[in-house]
Amino acid sequence: MTDQNCQKQNPTKWHHQDFGDGEQTLIWLHGWGQNHTAMYRIARLFKADHKNRLFDQPGFGKTPIIKHGGTEEYADALAAQLENGKPHIIIGHSYGGRVAIQMAARHPEKVKAVILISGAGIPRKRSIKFKVRAFILRSIGQGARLADSIFNSNLREQYSNRFGSNDYRNAGELRTTFVKAVTENLTIVAKQIKAPTLLIYGSDDTETPPEIGQKYEDAITIARYEELEGFNHWDILDRGAYQCEALIRKFFQDLNS
Amino acid sequence: MAEKKVIAVIFGGRSVEHDVSILTGLQFLEALDPRQYSGLPIYVDPLGQWWTGDTLKKRAHYPLNASKLKALTEVKLDLATNAIGRPTLTAIKKGLMGEKREYIPFDLMVPTIHGSNGEDGTIQGLLEFANIPYSGCRTLGAAATMNKPFAKKQARNANIKVLNDLIVSRPKQGEFINPDQIEDQLHRAFGSISYPYIVKPCNLGSSVGVGKADDLESLIGALMSAFKLDNELIIEPFVDHLVEYNVAARRKLDGTIITSAIERPLRSAELLDFKNKYLGGSEPGSPKAKSGNSEGMASLNRKLNPEELNDEQIRFIRESSIKVFNDMNLAGSVRIDFLCNGETGELWLNEINTIPGSFAYFLWEAAEEATSFLTLTSDIIEEGFVLSAQRLGETDTNVSGATIFIES
Repeated sequence: MTDQNCQKQNPTKWHHQDFGDGEQTLIWLHGWGQNHTAMYRIARLFKADHKNRLFDQPGFGKTPIIKHGGTEEYADALAAQLENGKPHIIIGHSYGGRVAIQMAARHPEKVKAVILISGAGIPRKRSIKFKVRAFILRSIGQGARLADSIFNSNLREQYSNRFGSNDYRNAGELRTTFVKAVTENLTIVAKQIKAPTLLIYGSDDTETPPEIGQKYEDAITIARYEELEGFNHWDILDRGAYQCEALIRKFFQDLNS
Repeated sequence: MAEKKVIAVIFGGRSVEHDVSILTGLQFLEALDPRQYSGLPIYVDPLGQWWTGDTLKKRAHYPLNASKLKALTEVKLDLATNAIGRPTLTAIKKGLMGEKREYIPFDLMVPTIHGSNGEDGTIQGLLEFANIPYSGCRTLGAAATMNKPFAKKQARNANIKVLNDLIVSRPKQGEFINPDQIEDQLHRAFGSISYPYIVKPCNLGSSVGVGKADDLESLIGALMSAFKLDNELIIEPFVDHLVEYNVAARRKLDGTIITSAIERPLRSAELLDFKNKYLGGSEPGSPKAKSGNSEGMASLNRKLNPEELNDEQIRFIRESSIKVFNDMNLAGSVRIDFLCNGETGELWLNEINTIPGSFAYFLWEAAEEATSFLTLTSDIIEEGFVLSAQRLGETDTNVSGATIFIES
């Protein structure tokens, strides 16, 4: 039996932190390279009236890795963590947003609503200059790999160290998961989502710029796009927590009315 | 959706608490409900010039260097707002065609300047004069609580326990502090002299200029250094086994006054001085803010809802806070500080901060009936609109029958 089958029969428990009390559960999914504590500050604001569950996603924090897993496998594994019954509200930041989108598309019965805070998943428009540079770099990388296979050199490694992003270099065992994520386009998946979705993006975000949120808004049937002035990819969770809270609470109100 | 109200948050200021005020101002801006309000930062630099611009919104940009200042717009407050128009700031921009005026309208101003010129009724008076709606205490409450001896007198009259004190004024130009005279005054104020004493400026908050004196010599020293900050000083007996407790009070929109969670600030030194209060925070195991002290008052190490207080002490803290809030006609989120002898459990009201660091939001979030910072900012703003409207309504000469000139 392969590892994956093993997991299907007896799914690995994801490490998580729970707090708060209320009718509705909120599932918080952090971004790449982080763990559940990244969502603590904002989740704490919902402690008084919601059941909050902050997960470590596989390969991060204390949850074991899913070998070669992509966002689909992450979403399926997440579905196995959640009890049946009352559907949940999934809130994802950045990479957690990708998993939230997959979750809502693949397991709609478990999802009441989705909230993306600086959610990733749709490639952004790139300039010609960027595309040319990317093409050249990709060709060099392929050349390096070819050279390595012929001459048994380690040019490819040097290439990654020189040109790879921090996240790519630090991905370690998660490298396949990382490459799958950055090369995927979730537009088609997003179109299948029936759950109401709130999209919050920071105007100064350079990692997942507002453009991505607007594309999600076009793709998702019931979507509300909100832009927060003056926040970037990271501080939107920190000093932007209260403004996110305001938008999320309004969304909840409209959801229940 | 109705148009968003523009909330001008004014911070910085010509005050020793300039830097703390920046943190409080930015925190308030960040906690504004983006669906109802749009925040307008106004920074008063140490020279007293007013600035606005998006650059002000990030902590990382402080202290503002020359290139950051270039990105800002200097503004002046228009005092001659007409009765129907919105309050405005005027920016003068120099262009090729000469100077160009730009008007920046807003709906309400939130003073977040701690201490002098912000918490003492002066900016409140200025805004009342200009008919500009603002949040927090009105002129009287702000001025009355800023002066420690005056506030204590009010508390005494209301039968709230405060420490005995001696007020010392700055000696006349060219004169020195007279040790004999001080001893004489101490005798009269406290019956007998028993060191140590605490020396504080009468008109400052945030523990700036507070000193402890173990003998006459160090008392003179403490007085001399505190006179650099204020013309009037207050001397109080040092409380043995000193423990401090703070609580916040505010009036809900329905009129009832409520109190927050009680906190005991944790201190490494004997006295809560400025450095300790805002720049410390190195208790082992304490959560550290990402960028130094970005949390301001909130990062001060504290014990929320301390267990050692008994019901009677808690009642004293809550009831005297509500009484003081009501008697002195306060508004906004006000923090009331108490002194306690940790051995005997005796408590005294110490001081009242009408613009406390971070608006004491962490105390509200930890209250039994918790108020989130988001709700707190909205409530403070709406209360400000109501209070300002009440006053504006009364200024019409027709109403009071004070009309002298009548059109014929």
